[in-house]
Amino acid sequence: MEDYEVQFVDRSEREARFVVQPITPAFANGIRRAMIADVPTFSIDTVRFIENSSVMFDEQIGLRLGLVPLTTPPGEFQMGEEVTLSLDVEGPETAYSGDLESSDGMVGAADDKIPIIDLKEDQRLELEADAVLDVGKEHAKHQGGVAVSYRHLQQVEVVGDAGEFDDDDPQILRGVIEEQAAEDAVETGGYEPEDGQLVPTEAFDNDLTNRYPGKELEVTDVDGAFVFDVETDGSFSVDELVVEAVGTIEDRAAELKESVQL
Amino acid sequence: MMVPVRCFTCGNVVAEQWEEFKHRTREADEPEDPAKVLDELGVERHCCRRMLVSHKDLVDIVAPYQ
Repeated sequence: MEDYEVQFVDRSEREARFVVQPITPAFANGIRRAMIADVPTFSIDTVRFIENSSVMFDEQIGLRLGLVPLTTPPGEFQMGEEVTLSLDVEGPETAYSGDLESSDGMVGAADDKIPIIDLKEDQRLELEADAVLDVGKEHAKHQGGVAVSYRHLQQVEVVGDAGEFDDDDPQILRGVIEEQAAEDAVETGGYEPEDGQLVPTEAFDNDLTNRYPGKELEVTDVDGAFVFDVETDGSFSVDELVVEAVGTIEDRAAELKESVQL
Repeated sequence: MMVPVRCFTCGNVVAEQWEEFKHRTREADEPEDPAKVLDELGVERHCCRRMLVSHKDLVDIVAPYQ
């Protein structure tokens, strides 16, 4: 088993950015795809309408309910397991995702303020819904990760001074850089120059000339180091999503190893 | 009719921010700059921003004709 080094650049409950090394591009993409398609989350799948006198059809409300993210504690449920939720709102009032009442305390709307339907006088919405645990491969509503991406970690080398009569055009760079030329850098966005430090390019407004004024620069990718940008829809935290995604890769690798054994 | 629950492109939940966005940019006595409001609400990507900027609630308009 290989060890990987993980360093966080930003980290919060629903959004994170971290550097993993050393990994191959294929493995980085494997992690990304596992985060999108292989981590199961709960989502409403079947709706039984008891009364719907709102301005929207049953199917339209069913679609909206399916897209509401539901909290999913990892490892507590089996694939295909169902949880029943109910909603009963009478107008004039707006039915919100927070009005959904769950039969299981662990599963419920991740955000409370998603408007389902605006109900007018004498309109009523009463329904029962079954949420099912499934993966993003099956339907996009089961995706726990949102806009998951990765890119190479970059390093900036100072190759000399900028020519005296050069244009002072901005040098735009996006992503995260690993500081390699601290002696030529100036402090930007609270990042005191120090070799080996990870600096998001937003710290210098994505313009290299702000951090290395008057220098000629060369940008190269760092081999085997990838910066992941991960966001979740609220079903679980970023930590849980990444750990679960890597877990699914490990499970499949173990299964493959077992099935090819003589 | 109602604001889409998620961004069509990236799948981020945008409906959560709709009511505050609508209030601050269209209903308030002194409407604020939509770009600034979106930044403050944490709607960063332009795919998610267009979901809110281009939306119009139609329930009030449709309701009398049911």
